[in-house]
Amino acid sequence: MAASLRRFWQPSLNLFQRIAGNRTISTSCVRQQYSEAPKDRKTTVKPQDITTHETLKEFGRYVGSCMPKFVEKVEVSNGNELDVMIHPDGVVPVLSFLKDHMNAQFTNIVDIAGVDVPTRQYRFELVYMLLSLRFNARIKVKTYTDELTPVDSAVSVFNGANWYEREIWDLYGVYFANHPDMRRILTDYGFEGHPFRKDFPIQGYVELRYDDEVKRVVAEPVEMAQEFRKFEYNSPWESFPKFRAVEDVPLAESETKKIEEKK
Amino acid sequence: MAGVLKKTTNLTGLAVAADARKTLTVLYDKLLRTLKKMPDDATYRTSTEEIVKERLGVVNSNKNVSDIEKKINCGQAEELILQAERELDLARKFLEWRPWEPMKEKAPEGQWKWPHP
Repeated sequence: MAASLRRFWQPSLNLFQRIAGNRTISTSCVRQQYSEAPKDRKTTVKPQDITTHETLKEFGRYVGSCMPKFVEKVEVSNGNELDVMIHPDGVVPVLSFLKDHMNAQFTNIVDIAGVDVPTRQYRFELVYMLLSLRFNARIKVKTYTDELTPVDSAVSVFNGANWYEREIWDLYGVYFANHPDMRRILTDYGFEGHPFRKDFPIQGYVELRYDDEVKRVVAEPVEMAQEFRKFEYNSPWESFPKFRAVEDVPLAESETKKIEEKK
Repeated sequence: MAGVLKKTTNLTGLAVAADARKTLTVLYDKLLRTLKKMPDDATYRTSTEEIVKERLGVVNSNKNVSDIEKKINCGQAEELILQAERELDLARKFLEWRPWEPMKEKAPEGQWKWPHP
């Protein structure tokens, strides 16, 4: 499901590439290529494939230079996943480019996911996942929005986006402009709120039970005993050891001198 | 064997094109004309022109459709027609969207940072 990405978000490596503005870039396509891995080596760590990484990097740069108006940043995460970060105005142009351009041909939409980070100015992130059967490649397009700003619907480009966008609307409350059929899709009739928002209470607002006296199912506001209301959110473990903030350690004097000599 | 049509493309819903060479030439010419309306230094224009000219060259220099398919190496002639149609559609829309212009508004600081502080 789209929304499962919210909890199991994969942290990306810091391999991002700022897009160079006026660099001339040769035509590049995304055909997946693999460099040969040594067969005798046994390891539990995922091997880094440099060929894939370089191909993706080059294609990312190509996408960025074709549409500098919309593409903000391109990133290769986890060694073989290409992320394109775009401005919300560019959803339709960027998706049509990726679908229709001869070097991309991402004609399938796999999923649209939402991420909610309430501390950000634009708290919602939308992730479009595309697949190119021609070049055996995948790509992720990310954009952002808040509770009130509608995002252009991708249905004009991919018909398959229809239900995915309804799902996002239902669970996160992100509105899609120009969507042909913007309705709830997963929650119950008369449901209130958007359950995948971080500020939605885990026990919900109403509970259903069968009432013996009136012989039917009744909906009542949730009543929780006081001890269930308070939650301890702090984890005893470190959640993101990879992203520990590292302070800048000043170099020793001898090191500084060496660097100056090199200059 | 030039002029002999294959029986099927083996792809559902995709009929064999009657005169693939002619259709491709017409589409590629239209594409090049559309691309000429874009600014000279737009990467989209230069790279697409490069691909289209290469493909047009192959189409013009080979009489046999199967030779064209082999040399372009991007699917059957019918798929090449589809690709050209999509690209033409995109190029026309790009004239309206003008994605080669510089960016107007950037994302706020820390928008793409994960985990968010």
